Amino acid sequence: MPAFNELNQAAGLIIPEIILIATVCIMFLTAPFLVSENGSSAAGLKHRWGALTLLALLCSTFAWLKSPLTDGSVGPFEVDAFAWYIRGIALVSGFLLTLILWDQTDDTHAAENFACLLATIAGTSFVALANDLIGIFLGLELVSIPTYILLYLGRSDWMSREATIKYFLLSIFSSAMVLFGLAWIYGIAGTTNLSAIADRAHRAIPGFEHGMLLVAQIIMIAGISFRLTAVPFHFYAPDVFQGVAPSASAMLSFVPKVVGFAALLQILPLCAGADGIAAWAPTKNQAWLFSTMALITMTFGNVMAFRQTSVLRMLAWSSISHAGYMLVGLAVATQHGGEHPNEASGQAALMFYLPIYGLMSIGVFAVLAAAGNRSRMLRSLEDLHGLSQTRPALALAMSVCVFGLSGLPPTGGFLGKLNLFVAAWVVNSQLSRTLAIALAANAVVAAAYYLRLIGLMYFETPKTIVEPEPRPASAVAGAFCAVSALLLFASPQWLWNAAAAAVSLVTA
Amino acid sequence: MSQDLLAPLLWLIPAAPLLSAITTALLGPKLLKYRSHIPCWSALAVSFAASLALLIMLPQQTATTAGGFIPPADLVAAPGAAGTDPAVAVAEPQTAAPDVSLPVNRPEVVVYIGEWLSLEPAPDKADVDVTADIPSKNRQRRGLRVPLELRVDSISSIMLAMVTGVSLLVALFGSGYMHHDAGYPRFFAAVSMFVFSMCMLVMSSSFVMLFVFWEMVGLCSYLLIGFWFRKPSAAAASKKAFVLNRIGDFGLIMGIFLIWTNFGTVEFAGVLSNTQRLQELAAENSGVITLICFCLFLGAMGKSAQFPLQVWLPDAMEGPTPVSALIHAATMVTAGVYLVARCTPLFVLAPQAQLLVTGTGAVTAALAALIALTQTDLKRVLAYSTVSQLGFMFMALGCGAADPNLASMAVTAGMFHLFTHAFFKALLFLAAGSVMHAMGDVIDMRRFSGLRRALPITHWTFLVGAAALAGVPLLAGFWSKDEILAVLMAASRTGEHRLFFGAVLVVASLTALLTAFYTFRAYFMTFWGPEKFPEEAGHHPHEATPIMAWPLRILAVAALFIGLAVGPTHLFGNTLTKTVGLTPFEAHFHLDVMALSVVIATAGIGLAWMLYVAMPRVPATIATVLKPFYVLSQGKFYLDEILYVLVVLPLRGIAFLSTLFDRLVIDGIIDSIGTVPRVLGDRVRSLQGGVVTAYAGLMWVGLVVLVVVCLSIS
Repeated sequence: MPAFNELNQAAGLIIPEIILIATVCIMFLTAPFLVSENGSSAAGLKHRWGALTLLALLCSTFAWLKSPLTDGSVGPFEVDAFAWYIRGIALVSGFLLTLILWDQTDDTHAAENFACLLATIAGTSFVALANDLIGIFLGLELVSIPTYILLYLGRSDWMSREATIKYFLLSIFSSAMVLFGLAWIYGIAGTTNLSAIADRAHRAIPGFEHGMLLVAQIIMIAGISFRLTAVPFHFYAPDVFQGVAPSASAMLSFVPKVVGFAALLQILPLCAGADGIAAWAPTKNQAWLFSTMALITMTFGNVMAFRQTSVLRMLAWSSISHAGYMLVGLAVATQHGGEHPNEASGQAALMFYLPIYGLMSIGVFAVLAAAGNRSRMLRSLEDLHGLSQTRPALALAMSVCVFGLSGLPPTGGFLGKLNLFVAAWVVNSQLSRTLAIALAANAVVAAAYYLRLIGLMYFETPKTIVEPEPRPASAVAGAFCAVSALLLFASPQWLWNAAAAAVSLVTA
Repeated sequence: MSQDLLAPLLWLIPAAPLLSAITTALLGPKLLKYRSHIPCWSALAVSFAASLALLIMLPQQTATTAGGFIPPADLVAAPGAAGTDPAVAVAEPQTAAPDVSLPVNRPEVVVYIGEWLSLEPAPDKADVDVTADIPSKNRQRRGLRVPLELRVDSISSIMLAMVTGVSLLVALFGSGYMHHDAGYPRFFAAVSMFVFSMCMLVMSSSFVMLFVFWEMVGLCSYLLIGFWFRKPSAAAASKKAFVLNRIGDFGLIMGIFLIWTNFGTVEFAGVLSNTQRLQELAAENSGVITLICFCLFLGAMGKSAQFPLQVWLPDAMEGPTPVSALIHAATMVTAGVYLVARCTPLFVLAPQAQLLVTGTGAVTAALAALIALTQTDLKRVLAYSTVSQLGFMFMALGCGAADPNLASMAVTAGMFHLFTHAFFKALLFLAAGSVMHAMGDVIDMRRFSGLRRALPITHWTFLVGAAALAGVPLLAGFWSKDEILAVLMAASRTGEHRLFFGAVLVVASLTALLTAFYTFRAYFMTFWGPEKFPEEAGHHPHEATPIMAWPLRILAVAALFIGLAVGPTHLFGNTLTKTVGLTPFEAHFHLDVMALSVVIATAGIGLAWMLYVAMPRVPATIATVLKPFYVLSQGKFYLDEILYVLVVLPLRGIAFLSTLFDRLVIDGIIDSIGTVPRVLGDRVRSLQGGVVTAYAGLMWVGLVVLVVVCLSIS
């Protein structure tokens, strides 16, 4: 009976995810019956599936807003402020990605597309909710496996297939690394429950600060870095971004990053012997590892973005460099909260930047999705020439988002980078100061190729004529992203409060 | 009852021109085209009517008005909002005139629109009353509050009536003068915008608002000087005006900062009517007040073209002539005079600043008059005369230094001259514009003469304007110049600065003589002598069209009678002295001064007649005999060149060095940094081969490297 009660209780904590997964099941089970043997289906079916997806997301959002925060749970799930925040990010990105997918998918495969998307959203939340290493791994896989399908269904040409296969193979490889790393941690701690691991770490069991734990961490971090697209685990990104549909690239540029950072923030503090994210300051090894990775990743990403001729590859490199910026947040994490809840800390800055980056990155892909048409999608930089003349509103939205990515005011991107910079600067060590300067220098260098993108749209004459096709949903998503990027510059405080609460000692 | 009427009037005055400016700017180029004057005319007519009504109704406002227009309840007691309660203001000792014991009614209307700036709102807002007895230390710690208000008291009501009246006439004239110019809508949009800004300037209730609209009129002036922006000289002139005004504005904004730090507020009510704080400050740190006044006066020098910042005004004649009449003679350039007059409560406490005001005025007046003697460009003569007359106004304003009791009389004299000058100088400019219009845009007096038969209306109106400027008895300029000389004479008879004011009086008298002379020199050169037209005028010069002639006639009538109507009847003085800081004074006729004026005017005009009509060969002889002086005056005392060498050249040098540094050092560094990513990118591109096994292998290598390095470090 207690087991049943516990399960019942745990189910109450994940109502938003249950709604999503239930919808996924319904879609997978019903969809095949709505498509005829020869692969044709009723016109407009995709919009009905899209509406169902939005409905599920709405219900889930409602449940999310209503969900109470638990504190110090020992069950399989824990809804703390951190989980609450990540769940919110996942749901909002779910809405945006659904809107982009709305125009991109075809009627036959719409159900599978939307279902996979919902599954990834649920998986993202699970990672943050999980109170168990197994739970975290399941969450990670709940994101990865539907992603393979999502990539494959997006487009059906050889380029897309190659990209999907590449992603599939390398992703499995990285998942194996994560699992291997988690197995090591289990081997050291003797339990998979996070609270129990924290407890053991807290009591400083001899051998915990052992080389073994270090190796376990590195293997796990390496696996997760694949999802973050951190160098040297980034190789797939440009090829895959270029190959798959913009809706899939939008998803790939953001959701895996959220999952990855959530997983890292769940596990790393335990390995450092800290009780939760707020109390975590990285150990010497962790700090060194993340600093190096951040430095290499952002520099490498920006350097490579320079010479790209494909806008999608360029955005892939931009996504890589942003992983570097965000890794700075991990490298300079400090104890957060307590007497100065608003003090800039690495975790809070990372949490703050994550949704802002998501908005801007998804916004750019939304515009690319909206500006292409069925026979031809925007791929090379030349396709963007003179976009301001053919599609002025889209060009404006894209410019705002690109401005945000380059970290220029008046967009939220500026504040996000600024917070990371400040967080790095106030940690009074040579390493973090170096990181802060490198971040600023990289942002300057990156501005060159971002601004060139805007220049192409506004100062060049159109070269390739893409017959405009009305794609209102993607355009709405793009507009939403652009407007929020501006609004977040005007009133960022609420988001900062939420981000700070997510990683602070005091639960909101 | 009348309160209910006053608030809409106050709204109408700036709102109508603003609406017209927006309408004309938006619809002008496409829709209104050559009908763009219609919104402007109607708006200015409305504004003028409202201003007149306000001028008449304002004095009837008594102490009861203080509760008339009040912001929402939570701001009721904020400074300036409720107006200075006359009863309270008068009950306190007046610094300006210690001997006044009679209560003075100081009518004032304030319409509260909203908060513009409200920084660090004090929790004890409720007791922020100007006249309440809060310790002054508290007041200095307050945040910055700038309410958006329309505030009218006596001095601003006079300014409003003058500004809107003259603008209306100029706008009428302008539609004839500018007709079929390609920028017709632009002209009227800018003029409307200017009138709006100027009205708001005089209706401001705080120094910050005043500064905002001070800049706005500067902007309008810039736009209108450079109206024909394709002409290089016009573009250069507009830039020069703008840049020189910045120097003055620097002073003004420093003055505002000082006021804020010392008074804790920038509202007029909290500064100028705050007798307690003023006296406190004068007692403990009079240097600060002097410094504030210096700064404010620097701002006034820029806007009102006083030495050495006067060089922009003559160049500003590159703009269309109606603009010269409106902005660069009648209204905007007098904003400096208005500012100093408005700040009388500050200036009376700073005798050194007042001496500076008078001294600068005297130097400017004399210098500009000397330059005007030899100019051959009709508009430039008038421009220098404007500079000179502004100097006269400042000369008067500073007379309070001799004796604080004189301050009210001094300010009244200066403001009165401002008032009359607006009419006759606008008239002169418009008449000059009419000449220019007839002569095919030729304005060099050597190229035409004897126009009195060809242009009869222009001739008689110009003559009236010239006579008024020269100070012919009973005309507008006579009364106001007479008051200035009278107050100077009074100042030279009392106080420790007796000698100084005596010298200024001599300078002023001589300048008046020069004024009469150069004005009539221009008049005789243009309208007398043998009839001669430049070829640009065509075979037959045409007289002003009715739409241009009527404003000339109306202004001529004003120039004839307005001085007589409001001067000797004390209408002007009685109205003006109801302004905060001024007190009514015993006014009487100064027969001695009047006699002096008459002699001066007659002598000047007679001399001009002798030299340019009776003996037209003599001037050339004089010029050769007094060659150095002639060249000096002709070359405008080479002030432009001196400024160029002293100010512009060093700045150019610094700018050149900066450019060099930027081009060679900064750009060099940036460019070389920029090549690094490109080179690096080319190098590492080979890693990105697209083979999936290679990627997996690299990931593996990466993992191994990380593990090995981490283990070796720890």
